[in-house]
Amino acid sequence: MKPITANFRSKAAQTLNNAQIQESIEHVYTGFFKGRLTAASDTPEWEDLRTKGKAIKDHTIAHLDYYLDLLATNVEKNGGSVFFADDAEEARQHIIDLAHKRDIKTVIKSKSMVSEEMGLEKAMNAEGFETVETDLGEYIIQLANETPYHLIAPAVHKSREDVAKLLDDDFKEGDRVPDATELTMMARKKLRGVFERADMSVTGVNFAVAESGSIALVTNEGNGRMSTTVPRVHVAVMGMEKIVPSIQDLSTMLRILIRSATGQRISTYVTMVNEARKSDEEEGPEEFHLVIMNNGRQNLLEDPQMRESLNCIRCGACLNACPVYRKVGGHAYGWVYPGPIGAIVSPVLTGVKDASNLPSASSLCGACHDACPVKINIPRMLLELRWRTAEGSTDKSERASSAKERGVWKMWRMGMMGRKRFDMGARLAGLALRPLSRNGWLKKAPPPISGWTSTRDFPSISSGSLRSKLSKRLGRSK
Amino acid sequence: MADRAKFISIVTTGLGRDQIVAPSADSATAGFDDAAVAKANADSAMADANSRSTELADQMATMADTNGWKVHRTSNPEDAADLVAKICEEKNAKSVLRSTHEVLNQIGVDTAVANTGASLGITQHDGDNSAELVDASKSAAFTADIGITGVDYAIAETGTVVLHPRSGLSRLVSLAPPTHIAVLRPGEVLDSLDELFAMERNDFMSGNLAGSMNLISGPSKTADIEGTTVTGIHGPLEVHLIILGEA
Repeated sequence: MKPITANFRSKAAQTLNNAQIQESIEHVYTGFFKGRLTAASDTPEWEDLRTKGKAIKDHTIAHLDYYLDLLATNVEKNGGSVFFADDAEEARQHIIDLAHKRDIKTVIKSKSMVSEEMGLEKAMNAEGFETVETDLGEYIIQLANETPYHLIAPAVHKSREDVAKLLDDDFKEGDRVPDATELTMMARKKLRGVFERADMSVTGVNFAVAESGSIALVTNEGNGRMSTTVPRVHVAVMGMEKIVPSIQDLSTMLRILIRSATGQRISTYVTMVNEARKSDEEEGPEEFHLVIMNNGRQNLLEDPQMRESLNCIRCGACLNACPVYRKVGGHAYGWVYPGPIGAIVSPVLTGVKDASNLPSASSLCGACHDACPVKINIPRMLLELRWRTAEGSTDKSERASSAKERGVWKMWRMGMMGRKRFDMGARLAGLALRPLSRNGWLKKAPPPISGWTSTRDFPSISSGSLRSKLSKRLGRSK
Repeated sequence: MADRAKFISIVTTGLGRDQIVAPSADSATAGFDDAAVAKANADSAMADANSRSTELADQMATMADTNGWKVHRTSNPEDAADLVAKICEEKNAKSVLRSTHEVLNQIGVDTAVANTGASLGITQHDGDNSAELVDASKSAAFTADIGITGVDYAIAETGTVVLHPRSGLSRLVSLAPPTHIAVLRPGEVLDSLDELFAMERNDFMSGNLAGSMNLISGPSKTADIEGTTVTGIHGPLEVHLIILGEA
């Protein structure tokens, strides 16, 4: 997927002005955010679980090379194939080539953000494969020709009416809008047919277990189970960080992932795949392929300030907790991963310069840090990226600040560092801005101050400085 | 094509090393526990399931109900068979599939289903996995009205039924039909996910890991339309859990 992170401001503005989307994305707060809080408070050992989860991920990432090697060895030992892809292009091409070789006609996809990085569905459709998303939210997004709005609720911004227009061929403007159950049943019927004829599946991976070469998939709908059962070829795609060392680590990881994602104690289905169909099984894929993708993740790994972001288990809790995400929505972030986690991984994975607005799309309130099941310190990394894009980056092309902006701050610094210069600056600013103020407020100003006043008002500058007023009141001469 | 060694060497470099260093034992993960520890953990999980079977069955019933299982408890095998028959009749089932779980023989599922007039199939083809038989198996599952299984384990913490697909227990029998009935015996309920994965790890360490595993906690669900929870998107719309033993 091509990043459009540079459009953050305009995309955010569109969403802010869309009343229907504003109403729809409230679900992430009322449903997921509150659900997580309840689930956490119902779990007395919650903080211990977070600590354990963080320890498992810290350990794994610190030895990622070792565990990748172990995982690949064990998948192959179980009869599967492993493909290491440096980038999205390589991964996509490998899957397309495999589909051609196996004479595949219909590909079912089970939700996977990594496959979104690859832009896989569009690419496979263009190659002539019937490629269908099977997670209901992803299916809706596919029909709408959009990208996911949320890590676990891709169509959260769509109203029932939007969905009816996409799912129901007979739906006309003004008709009664079907309820969620009716719409879900329409989708069930359509997708059942697809499942029955699918000959290849592409699923994500919630956790890959290094010691046994297994993958674990978490779904509520059952599309993960269908995808690992019906087609003759199963391809699982994962970012290289999604490993845990041991089968036994899954109990901790599943507990924190699922509670943090939806507030459930457990999802309806957890599927563990250790190998393709055993010879005496009734059904199941004949082949299992694992695609492990880097796609810029080594930039996160080698950067001591950013490495922690590889602990992410993609639960979406930071999105639900974020007051900015809940207003600007998922598309504003311009790439696969929205919200606070997106604001730190997108700049590093897709280029800091274009994505320089993302780390600023935060009030630094810390809600994401509190919500994160593996305690990723997102605000710390947002600040780090802000500093880099402003002035810290040694790579000048990564600096998003303009020469003009830097010049203004240089002057500001000079002004602030001398008594006389400060007084004169304040007096000049007051003189310049007073004619533009109305009733004590500055609401509209010419550039460059319009950058501020376009989104917020500024109190007009007082006619005298605090110092001069105090001096007068205390009867002292200046 | 990216080469495995090259890919991994990039990771090694990213970690600031020049070669892979095997991690030293770390209590963060269970990965360093040897086979003896794994066995001891599994034994203690099973001992716990047996010694607390009544308490765990009670907790299972409560949690399963929360997840949307329709829970039935009976100490009498005939009652269990009657329950199965009643569900078949309510669903007007023409075609029923079952697994080879022994408990289904114990309660006499075959006769109970036959008496309702529905056909009963077992998806097992004795190691013959020709493409035709696999296809036949799939279409039988997709057209069946009800799938009946036992459980391999259950998990009290989460109200979960655990199945390891194998010969005689198809992956689809608990997934494709609109109704799934699972029958649970005392002693099959583990305390929590910890015990389940302790058992799995022991299976792995002793070379007996199943090909796959499904944890099932209620009917298939989605909340992808306006956050409204709807049951029955891809899997069963209705799931019944029959718990045998004293309630």
